[in-house]
Amino acid sequence: MFESYTERYTLVTLSYYPGCSLKTSSRFYEESFKAVFSFFGIGHRELEDWSCCGASAAHTIDEKLGYALAGRNLALAEREGNHLFAPCSACYNRSVITNTRVREDGELREEINKTIYPLQCTGTIEVKNIIEVLHDYVGIEAMAQRISYDLSSIRVVPYYGCVLTRIMKMEAFDDKEDPVSMDSLIWSAGAEVVNWPYKMECCGASKTLTNKEMTLKLSSKIMDMALSLGADAVVTPCPLCQLNLDLLPYLGRNDKNLPILFLTELLELALFGELKGTGSHIIPVDAIVKKAKKK
Amino acid sequence: MEDLGFLHEVEKATGEKVSACYQCCKCTAGCPVVADMDIYPHRIIRHIILGNRDTVLGSKAIWACLQCVTCSVRCPNDIDVARVFDALRKISVREGKMVEKDTWRFDEIFLESVQRHGRLHEMETILRYKIDKKDLFSDTMMGVGMLKKGRIGLLPHNIKDRKGMKEIFKKTGVSKQAQMTKILICLVS
Repeated sequence: MFESYTERYTLVTLSYYPGCSLKTSSRFYEESFKAVFSFFGIGHRELEDWSCCGASAAHTIDEKLGYALAGRNLALAEREGNHLFAPCSACYNRSVITNTRVREDGELREEINKTIYPLQCTGTIEVKNIIEVLHDYVGIEAMAQRISYDLSSIRVVPYYGCVLTRIMKMEAFDDKEDPVSMDSLIWSAGAEVVNWPYKMECCGASKTLTNKEMTLKLSSKIMDMALSLGADAVVTPCPLCQLNLDLLPYLGRNDKNLPILFLTELLELALFGELKGTGSHIIPVDAIVKKAKKK
Repeated sequence: MEDLGFLHEVEKATGEKVSACYQCCKCTAGCPVVADMDIYPHRIIRHIILGNRDTVLGSKAIWACLQCVTCSVRCPNDIDVARVFDALRKISVREGKMVEKDTWRFDEIFLESVQRHGRLHEMETILRYKIDKKDLFSDTMMGVGMLKKGRIGLLPHNIKDRKGMKEIFKKTGVSKQAQMTKILICLVS
Protein backbone atom coordinates (compact mmCIF):
# COMPACT_ATOMS: atom_id res chain seq x y z
CA MET A 1 0.00 0.00 0.00
CA PHE A 2 2.84 2.40 0.83
CA GLU A 3 4.38 1.79 -2.58
CA SER A 4 2.33 4.66 -3.98
CA TYR A 5 4.12 7.08 -1.67
CA THR A 6 7.57 5.87 -2.59
CA GLU A 7 9.69 8.43 -4.39
CA ARG A 8 10.10 7.59 -8.04
CA TYR A 9 13.41 9.35 -8.39
CA THR A 10 16.65 8.97 -6.50
CA LEU A 11 17.97 12.01 -4.72
CA VAL A 12 21.49 10.78 -4.11
CA THR A 13 23.45 7.55 -4.27
CA LEU A 14 25.68 6.48 -1.40
CA SER A 15 28.18 3.66 -1.17
CA TYR A 16 26.84 1.42 1.54
CA TYR A 17 29.26 -0.28 3.94
CA PRO A 18 27.24 -2.87 5.91
CA GLY A 19 29.98 -4.09 8.22
CA CYS A 20 29.66 -7.55 9.72
CA SER A 21 26.63 -6.75 11.93
CA LEU A 22 24.19 -5.74 9.23
CA LYS A 23 24.83 -8.99 7.37
CA THR A 24 24.57 -11.30 10.40
CA SER A 25 23.30 -10.32 13.84
CA SER A 26 21.31 -7.28 12.69
CA ARG A 27 20.06 -8.19 9.25
CA PHE A 28 16.70 -6.63 10.06
CA TYR A 29 18.43 -3.26 10.53
CA GLU A 30 19.44 -3.46 6.88
CA GLU A 31 15.87 -4.28 5.80
CA SER A 32 14.58 -1.46 7.96
CA PHE A 33 16.85 1.31 6.67
CA LYS A 34 16.31 0.11 3.09
CA ALA A 35 12.55 0.61 3.48
CA VAL A 36 13.05 4.10 4.89
CA PHE A 37 15.69 5.05 2.29
CA SER A 38 13.61 3.94 -0.64
CA PHE A 39 10.65 5.91 0.72
CA PHE A 40 12.73 9.09 0.79
CA GLY A 41 14.60 8.40 -2.44
CA ILE A 42 18.04 7.85 -0.97
CA GLY A 43 19.91 5.44 -3.24
CA HIS A 44 22.62 3.14 -1.96
CA ARG A 45 24.92 0.65 -3.58
CA GLU A 46 26.66 -1.97 -1.48
CA LEU A 47 30.40 -1.52 -1.59
CA GLU A 48 31.88 -4.17 -3.86
CA ASP A 49 33.99 -6.76 -1.99
CA TRP A 50 34.05 -4.82 1.31
CA SER A 51 35.90 -6.30 4.26
CA CYS A 52 35.83 -6.02 8.05
CA CYS A 53 36.80 -2.59 9.43
CA GLY A 54 38.75 -4.23 12.24
CA ALA A 55 36.39 -2.83 14.88
CA SER A 56 37.90 -2.58 18.34
CA ALA A 57 40.01 -5.71 17.85
CA ALA A 58 42.42 -4.51 15.18
CA HIS A 59 43.67 -1.35 16.85
CA THR A 60 44.00 -3.16 20.18
CA ILE A 61 46.40 -5.68 18.64
CA ASP A 62 48.10 -3.36 16.16
CA GLU A 63 47.25 0.25 15.40
CA LYS A 64 48.56 0.15 11.82
CA LEU A 65 46.43 -2.87 11.04
CA GLY A 66 43.39 -0.97 12.31
CA TYR A 67 44.09 1.88 9.89
CA ALA A 68 44.83 -0.47 6.99
CA LEU A 69 41.62 -2.48 7.39
CA ALA A 70 39.46 0.65 7.49
CA GLY A 71 41.57 2.18 4.72
CA ARG A 72 40.90 -0.73 2.39
CA ASN A 73 37.17 -0.03 2.42
CA LEU A 74 37.69 3.73 2.06
CA ALA A 75 39.84 3.03 -1.00
CA LEU A 76 37.09 0.87 -2.51
CA ALA A 77 34.55 3.63 -1.88
CA GLU A 78 36.82 6.27 -3.42
CA ARG A 79 37.01 4.17 -6.54
CA GLU A 80 33.21 4.28 -6.76
CA GLY A 81 33.24 8.00 -6.05
CA ASN A 82 30.25 8.25 -3.69
CA HIS A 83 30.15 9.16 -0.03
CA LEU A 84 30.33 6.16 2.26
CA PHE A 85 27.36 5.35 4.46
CA ALA A 86 28.28 3.24 7.52
CA PRO A 87 25.24 2.45 9.71
CA CYS A 88 27.22 0.60 12.42
CA SER A 89 28.69 2.99 14.99
CA ALA A 90 31.91 1.02 15.40
CA CYS A 91 32.46 0.88 11.62
CA TYR A 92 31.60 4.57 11.36
CA ASN A 93 34.00 5.50 14.15
CA ARG A 94 36.93 3.56 12.66
CA SER A 95 36.22 4.75 9.13
CA VAL A 96 35.78 8.42 9.99
CA ILE A 97 38.96 8.49 12.09
CA THR A 98 40.97 6.76 9.36
CA ASN A 99 39.49 8.97 6.63
CA THR A 100 40.32 12.19 8.46
CA ARG A 101 43.80 11.06 9.40
CA VAL A 102 44.55 9.94 5.86
CA ARG A 103 43.49 13.37 4.66
CA GLU A 104 45.62 15.26 7.15
CA ASP A 105 48.65 13.07 7.81
CA GLY A 106 50.76 12.47 4.70
CA GLU A 107 53.09 10.05 6.42
CA LEU A 108 50.28 7.84 7.66
CA ARG A 109 48.57 8.00 4.28
CA GLU A 110 51.70 6.72 2.59
CA GLU A 111 52.05 3.93 5.10
CA ILE A 112 48.43 2.81 4.73
CA ASN A 113 48.66 2.90 0.96
CA LYS A 114 51.79 0.79 1.00
CA THR A 115 49.94 -1.77 3.10
CA ILE A 116 46.77 -1.90 1.02
CA TYR A 117 48.55 -1.64 -2.37
CA PRO A 118 47.37 -1.80 -5.21
CA LEU A 119 44.39 0.00 -3.62
CA GLN A 120 44.84 3.68 -2.82
CA CYS A 121 43.04 5.84 -0.31
CA THR A 122 43.39 9.62 -0.22
CA GLY A 123 40.52 10.83 1.96
CA THR A 124 38.51 12.47 -0.80
CA ILE A 125 35.10 11.11 0.16
CA GLU A 126 33.07 11.60 3.32
CA VAL A 127 31.91 8.96 5.78
CA LYS A 128 28.34 9.35 7.03
CA ASN A 129 26.32 7.60 9.71
CA ILE A 130 22.57 7.00 9.61
CA ILE A 131 21.71 10.18 11.55
CA GLU A 132 23.78 12.35 9.22
CA VAL A 133 22.27 10.76 6.12
CA LEU A 134 18.73 11.39 7.34
CA HIS A 135 19.52 14.99 8.26
CA ASP A 136 21.45 15.71 5.06
CA TYR A 137 19.11 14.11 2.54
CA VAL A 138 15.70 14.23 4.22
CA GLY A 139 15.71 16.81 6.99
CA ILE A 140 13.37 17.06 9.97
CA GLU A 141 10.83 19.25 8.19
CA ALA A 142 10.31 16.85 5.30
CA MET A 143 10.28 13.96 7.73
CA ALA A 144 7.51 15.51 9.83
CA GLN A 145 5.43 16.23 6.73
CA ARG A 146 5.61 12.69 5.37
CA ILE A 147 4.65 10.60 8.39
CA SER A 148 1.34 8.74 8.25
CA TYR A 149 1.11 7.22 11.73
CA ASP A 150 0.70 8.97 15.04
CA LEU A 151 3.43 7.99 17.52
CA SER A 152 2.62 10.65 20.11
CA SER A 153 1.74 8.04 22.75
CA ILE A 154 5.23 6.47 22.53
CA ARG A 155 7.86 7.78 24.94
CA VAL A 156 11.39 6.93 23.88
CA VAL A 157 14.87 7.53 25.26
CA PRO A 158 17.48 8.33 22.57
CA TYR A 159 20.49 6.07 23.07
CA TYR A 160 23.45 7.09 20.91
CA GLY A 161 25.98 4.64 22.31
CA CYS A 162 29.56 5.37 23.22
CA VAL A 163 31.58 5.75 20.03
CA LEU A 164 29.26 7.49 17.57
CA THR A 165 30.33 11.03 18.39
CA ARG A 166 33.26 10.40 20.70
CA ILE A 167 35.88 10.89 18.05
CA MET A 168 39.13 12.15 19.52
CA LYS A 169 41.29 14.95 18.14
CA MET A 170 38.86 15.82 15.40
CA GLU A 171 35.55 17.49 14.86
CA ALA A 172 32.54 15.21 15.32
CA PHE A 173 29.20 15.68 13.53
CA ASP A 174 27.44 16.33 16.85
CA ASP A 175 28.31 17.21 20.43
CA LYS A 176 30.65 14.66 21.99
CA GLU A 177 28.92 14.65 25.37
CA ASP A 178 25.35 15.72 24.71
CA PRO A 179 24.36 14.95 21.12
CA VAL A 180 20.92 16.08 19.93
CA SER A 181 20.81 15.13 16.25
CA MET A 182 18.85 11.91 16.83
CA ASP A 183 16.50 13.62 19.31
CA SER A 184 15.27 15.93 16.56
CA LEU A 185 14.72 13.03 14.16
CA ILE A 186 12.68 11.11 16.73
CA TRP A 187 10.74 14.24 17.53
CA SER A 188 10.03 14.89 13.85
CA ALA A 189 8.74 11.31 13.54
CA GLY A 190 6.16 12.26 16.16
CA ALA A 191 7.31 10.27 19.17
CA GLU A 192 7.96 11.83 22.54
CA VAL A 193 11.66 12.23 23.37
CA VAL A 194 12.52 11.72 27.04
CA ASN A 195 15.60 13.59 28.16
CA TRP A 196 17.97 11.34 30.07
CA PRO A 197 21.56 11.21 31.29
CA TYR A 198 22.60 7.97 29.56
CA LYS A 199 22.61 9.08 25.93
CA MET A 200 26.19 7.94 25.53
CA GLU A 201 26.74 5.56 28.42
CA CYS A 202 28.72 2.49 27.34
CA CYS A 203 26.72 -0.76 27.05
CA GLY A 204 29.85 -2.90 27.36
CA ALA A 205 29.56 -4.53 23.95
CA SER A 206 33.28 -5.23 23.66
CA LYS A 207 33.12 -7.55 26.68
CA THR A 208 29.92 -9.55 26.03
CA LEU A 209 31.92 -12.74 25.56
CA THR A 210 34.99 -12.09 27.67
CA ASN A 211 33.35 -10.56 30.76
CA LYS A 212 29.62 -11.16 30.80
CA GLU A 213 29.13 -9.84 34.34
CA MET A 214 30.57 -6.48 33.40
CA THR A 215 28.35 -6.21 30.33
CA LEU A 216 25.29 -7.21 32.35
CA LYS A 217 26.02 -4.55 34.93
CA LEU A 218 26.48 -1.78 32.36
CA SER A 219 23.54 -2.69 30.12
CA SER A 220 21.26 -3.25 33.11
CA LYS A 221 22.10 0.21 34.45
CA ILE A 222 21.00 1.72 31.14
CA MET A 223 17.77 -0.30 31.09
CA ASP A 224 16.96 0.62 34.71
CA MET A 225 17.37 4.31 33.97
CA ALA A 226 15.08 4.08 30.92
CA LEU A 227 12.47 2.25 33.00
CA SER A 228 12.63 4.71 35.88
CA LEU A 229 11.90 7.58 33.49
CA GLY A 230 8.75 5.86 32.24
CA ALA A 231 9.98 5.27 28.69
CA ASP A 232 8.25 2.78 26.36
CA ALA A 233 11.30 2.00 24.26
CA VAL A 234 15.00 2.66 23.77
CA VAL A 235 15.94 3.94 20.31
CA THR A 236 19.49 3.54 19.01
CA PRO A 237 21.38 3.81 15.71
CA CYS A 238 24.05 1.28 16.78
CA PRO A 239 23.71 -2.47 16.03
CA LEU A 240 26.09 -3.40 18.86
CA CYS A 241 24.10 -1.43 21.43
CA GLN A 242 20.86 -2.88 20.11
CA LEU A 243 22.10 -6.46 20.30
CA ASN A 244 23.65 -6.04 23.70
CA LEU A 245 20.58 -4.51 25.33
CA ASP A 246 18.31 -6.95 23.51
CA LEU A 247 20.38 -9.80 24.97
CA LEU A 248 19.72 -8.66 28.55
CA PRO A 249 17.30 -11.53 29.32
CA TYR A 250 20.05 -13.99 28.33
CA LEU A 251 22.82 -12.10 30.09
CA GLY A 252 21.03 -12.91 33.33
CA ARG A 253 18.71 -9.96 33.95
CA ASN A 254 15.44 -10.99 35.55
CA ASP A 255 13.76 -7.59 35.77
CA LYS A 256 11.48 -5.97 33.23
CA ASN A 257 13.00 -4.98 29.89
CA LEU A 258 11.97 -2.36 27.35
CA PRO A 259 12.04 -3.04 23.61
CA ILE A 260 15.15 -1.74 21.82
CA LEU A 261 14.34 -0.23 18.43
CA PHE A 262 16.68 0.93 15.73
CA LEU A 263 16.22 4.56 14.74
CA THR A 264 15.02 3.48 11.30
CA GLU A 265 12.50 1.10 12.90
CA LEU A 266 10.88 4.02 14.70
CA LEU A 267 10.72 5.79 11.33
CA GLU A 268 9.24 2.63 9.78
CA LEU A 269 6.50 2.81 12.40
CA ALA A 270 5.86 6.48 11.64
CA LEU A 271 5.78 5.93 7.88
CA PHE A 272 4.23 2.48 7.46
CA GLY A 273 2.77 1.57 10.85
CA GLU A 274 4.57 -1.77 10.94
CA LEU A 275 8.00 -3.29 11.49
CA LYS A 276 9.74 -5.64 9.08
CA GLY A 277 11.98 -7.05 11.79
CA THR A 278 9.46 -7.83 14.56
CA GLY A 279 10.52 -11.48 14.63
CA SER A 280 14.21 -10.69 15.11
CA HIS A 281 13.78 -8.82 18.38
CA ILE A 282 14.56 -10.86 21.49
CA ILE A 283 12.65 -8.47 23.75
CA PRO A 284 9.18 -8.36 22.13
CA VAL A 285 8.15 -5.14 20.36
CA ASP A 286 4.44 -5.84 19.77
CA ALA A 287 3.26 -3.39 22.43
CA ILE A 288 5.07 -0.53 20.68
CA VAL A 289 3.80 -1.48 17.23
CA LYS A 290 0.22 -1.45 18.56
CA LYS A 291 0.68 2.11 19.79
CA ALA A 292 1.18 3.47 16.26
CA LYS A 293 -2.21 4.82 15.14
CA LYS A 294 -3.15 5.73 11.57
CA LYS A 295 -3.53 9.49 11.28
CA MET B 1 64.87 11.79 39.95
CA GLU B 2 62.48 9.18 38.72
CA ASP B 3 63.07 7.08 35.66
CA LEU B 4 61.55 8.92 32.71
CA GLY B 5 62.18 6.10 30.25
CA PHE B 6 58.73 4.56 30.63
CA LEU B 7 56.97 7.92 30.24
CA HIS B 8 58.89 8.58 27.04
CA GLU B 9 58.15 5.10 25.75
CA VAL B 10 54.39 5.54 26.29
CA GLU B 11 54.40 9.07 24.87
CA LYS B 12 56.23 7.87 21.79
CA ALA B 13 53.93 4.89 21.26
CA THR B 14 50.78 7.02 21.51
CA GLY B 15 51.80 10.49 20.41
CA GLU B 16 50.01 11.70 23.56
CA LYS B 17 51.48 14.22 25.98
CA VAL B 18 50.95 12.08 29.08
CA SER B 19 53.13 14.38 31.20
CA ALA B 20 50.53 17.15 30.79
CA CYS B 21 48.28 15.42 33.33
CA TYR B 22 47.60 17.51 36.45
CA GLN B 23 45.52 14.89 38.26
CA CYS B 24 42.07 16.47 37.98
CA CYS B 25 40.56 12.93 38.13
CA LYS B 26 37.96 13.62 35.45
CA CYS B 27 38.93 10.40 33.64
CA THR B 28 38.30 8.37 36.77
CA ALA B 29 35.07 10.20 37.59
CA GLY B 30 33.58 9.41 34.19
CA CYS B 31 34.83 5.84 33.76
CA PRO B 32 31.92 3.34 33.69
CA VAL B 33 34.08 0.40 34.82
CA VAL B 34 36.10 2.06 37.53
CA ALA B 35 34.63 -0.39 40.06
CA ASP B 36 36.44 -3.22 38.27
CA MET B 37 39.80 -1.46 38.31
CA ASP B 38 42.55 -2.09 40.82
CA ILE B 39 44.24 1.20 39.94
CA TYR B 40 42.11 4.16 38.86
CA PRO B 41 42.81 5.75 35.46
CA HIS B 42 44.27 9.02 36.81
CA ARG B 43 46.59 6.99 39.01
CA ILE B 44 47.69 4.86 36.04
CA ILE B 45 48.69 8.09 34.32
CA ARG B 46 50.58 9.22 37.43
CA HIS B 47 52.35 5.86 37.69
CA ILE B 48 53.49 6.21 34.08
CA ILE B 49 54.96 9.62 34.86
CA LEU B 50 56.68 8.23 37.95
CA GLY B 51 58.12 5.36 35.93
CA ASN B 52 56.39 2.56 37.88
CA ARG B 53 56.49 0.25 34.93
CA ASP B 54 55.59 -3.07 36.55
CA THR B 55 52.69 -1.60 38.56
CA VAL B 56 51.09 -0.28 35.39
CA LEU B 57 51.78 -3.21 33.06
CA GLY B 58 50.70 -5.76 35.66
CA SER B 59 47.46 -3.98 36.56
CA LYS B 60 43.94 -5.31 36.03
CA ALA B 61 42.81 -1.79 35.14
CA ILE B 62 44.31 -1.73 31.65
CA TRP B 63 42.26 -4.83 30.78
CA ALA B 64 39.00 -3.61 32.33
CA CYS B 65 38.94 -0.63 29.94
CA LEU B 66 36.11 -0.80 27.38
CA GLN B 67 37.56 1.81 25.04
CA CYS B 68 34.37 3.89 25.32
CA VAL B 69 36.63 6.99 25.20
CA THR B 70 34.71 8.96 27.85
CA CYS B 71 37.96 9.75 29.67
CA SER B 72 39.68 10.99 26.52
CA VAL B 73 36.84 13.31 25.53
CA ARG B 74 36.76 14.85 29.01
CA CYS B 75 40.50 15.32 29.57
CA PRO B 76 41.19 19.07 29.96
CA ASN B 77 44.73 18.48 28.74
CA ASP B 78 43.59 16.61 25.66
CA ILE B 79 45.27 13.35 26.60
CA ASP B 80 43.65 10.41 24.79
CA VAL B 81 43.60 8.28 27.93
CA ALA B 82 41.88 5.36 26.18
CA ARG B 83 44.64 5.32 23.59
CA VAL B 84 47.24 5.28 26.35
CA PHE B 85 45.47 2.26 27.87
CA ASP B 86 45.43 0.63 24.44
CA ALA B 87 49.20 1.13 24.12
CA LEU B 88 49.80 -0.16 27.67
CA ARG B 89 48.03 -3.40 26.74
CA LYS B 90 50.37 -3.91 23.82
CA ILE B 91 53.48 -3.30 25.92
CA SER B 92 52.11 -5.52 28.69
CA VAL B 93 51.54 -8.41 26.28
CA ARG B 94 54.90 -7.93 24.61
CA GLU B 95 56.62 -8.23 27.97
CA GLY B 96 54.44 -11.07 29.21
CA LYS B 97 53.10 -9.03 32.14
CA MET B 98 49.38 -9.18 31.42
CA VAL B 99 47.20 -10.38 34.28
CA GLU B 100 44.17 -11.05 32.07
CA LYS B 101 44.43 -12.72 28.70
CA ASP B 102 40.80 -13.18 27.58
CA THR B 103 40.42 -9.76 25.95
CA TRP B 104 43.62 -10.12 23.96
CA ARG B 105 42.89 -13.73 23.03
CA PHE B 106 39.40 -12.87 21.81
CA ASP B 107 40.70 -10.00 19.69
CA GLU B 108 43.30 -12.31 18.17
CA ILE B 109 40.74 -14.98 17.31
CA PHE B 110 38.52 -12.23 15.87
CA LEU B 111 41.34 -11.02 13.64
CA GLU B 112 42.33 -14.52 12.56
CA SER B 113 38.79 -14.95 11.28
CA VAL B 114 39.01 -11.65 9.39
CA GLN B 115 42.37 -12.65 7.97
CA ARG B 116 40.94 -15.94 6.73
CA HIS B 117 37.61 -14.75 5.31
CA GLY B 118 37.97 -10.98 4.90
CA ARG B 119 34.92 -10.57 7.14
CA LEU B 120 34.13 -11.76 10.62
CA HIS B 121 32.74 -15.28 10.78
CA GLU B 122 30.75 -14.99 14.00
CA MET B 123 30.05 -18.66 14.72
CA GLU B 124 33.65 -19.69 14.12
CA THR B 125 35.00 -16.87 16.28
CA ILE B 126 32.67 -17.61 19.19
CA LEU B 127 33.31 -21.36 19.07
CA ARG B 128 37.07 -20.98 18.78
CA TYR B 129 37.11 -18.62 21.73
CA LYS B 130 34.96 -21.01 23.78
CA ILE B 131 37.16 -23.99 22.92
CA ASP B 132 40.21 -21.95 23.77
CA LYS B 133 38.73 -21.16 27.19
CA LYS B 134 37.61 -24.79 27.63
CA ASP B 135 34.17 -23.44 28.49
CA LEU B 136 31.80 -24.55 25.76
CA PHE B 137 28.46 -24.55 27.52
CA SER B 138 28.23 -21.47 29.74
CA ASP B 139 26.37 -19.37 27.15
CA THR B 140 24.39 -22.11 25.44
CA MET B 141 21.02 -20.54 26.24
CA MET B 142 22.13 -17.22 24.81
CA GLY B 143 23.46 -18.96 21.68
CA VAL B 144 20.25 -20.91 21.13
CA GLY B 145 18.17 -17.77 21.73
CA MET B 146 20.18 -15.85 19.17
CA LEU B 147 20.05 -18.69 16.67
CA LYS B 148 16.27 -18.88 16.95
CA LYS B 149 16.04 -15.19 16.10
CA GLY B 150 18.54 -15.55 13.26
CA ARG B 151 21.05 -13.33 14.98
CA ILE B 152 24.27 -15.32 14.63
CA GLY B 153 26.08 -15.62 11.32
CA LEU B 154 26.40 -19.38 10.80
CA LEU B 155 28.27 -19.44 7.52
CA PRO B 156 31.47 -17.61 6.62
CA HIS B 157 31.31 -14.63 4.26
CA ASN B 158 34.36 -14.87 2.07
CA ILE B 159 35.47 -11.81 0.16
CA LYS B 160 36.92 -12.22 -3.33
CA ASP B 161 40.24 -10.57 -2.66
CA ARG B 162 41.32 -12.86 0.17
CA LYS B 163 44.86 -12.82 -1.13
CA GLY B 164 45.01 -9.05 -0.73
CA MET B 165 43.64 -9.42 2.79
CA LYS B 166 46.35 -11.87 3.80
CA GLU B 167 48.87 -9.48 2.29
CA ILE B 168 47.64 -6.65 4.57
CA PHE B 169 48.10 -8.83 7.64
CA LYS B 170 51.53 -9.94 6.43
CA LYS B 171 52.71 -6.40 5.74
CA THR B 172 51.68 -5.14 9.17
CA GLY B 173 53.42 -8.12 10.74
CA VAL B 174 50.35 -9.12 12.73
CA SER B 175 50.19 -12.77 11.65
CA LYS B 176 53.77 -13.32 12.81
CA GLN B 177 53.26 -11.33 15.99
CA ALA B 178 50.16 -13.39 16.84
CA GLN B 179 52.17 -16.59 16.83
CA MET B 180 54.77 -15.06 19.12
CA THR B 181 52.13 -13.95 21.63
CA LYS B 182 50.50 -17.37 21.57
CA ILE B 183 53.81 -18.90 22.64
CA LEU B 184 54.20 -16.16 25.24
CA ILE B 185 50.71 -16.71 26.67
CA CYS B 186 51.42 -20.47 26.91
CA LEU B 187 54.65 -19.76 28.78
CA VAL B 188 53.00 -17.32 31.19
CA SER B 189 50.16 -19.66 32.05
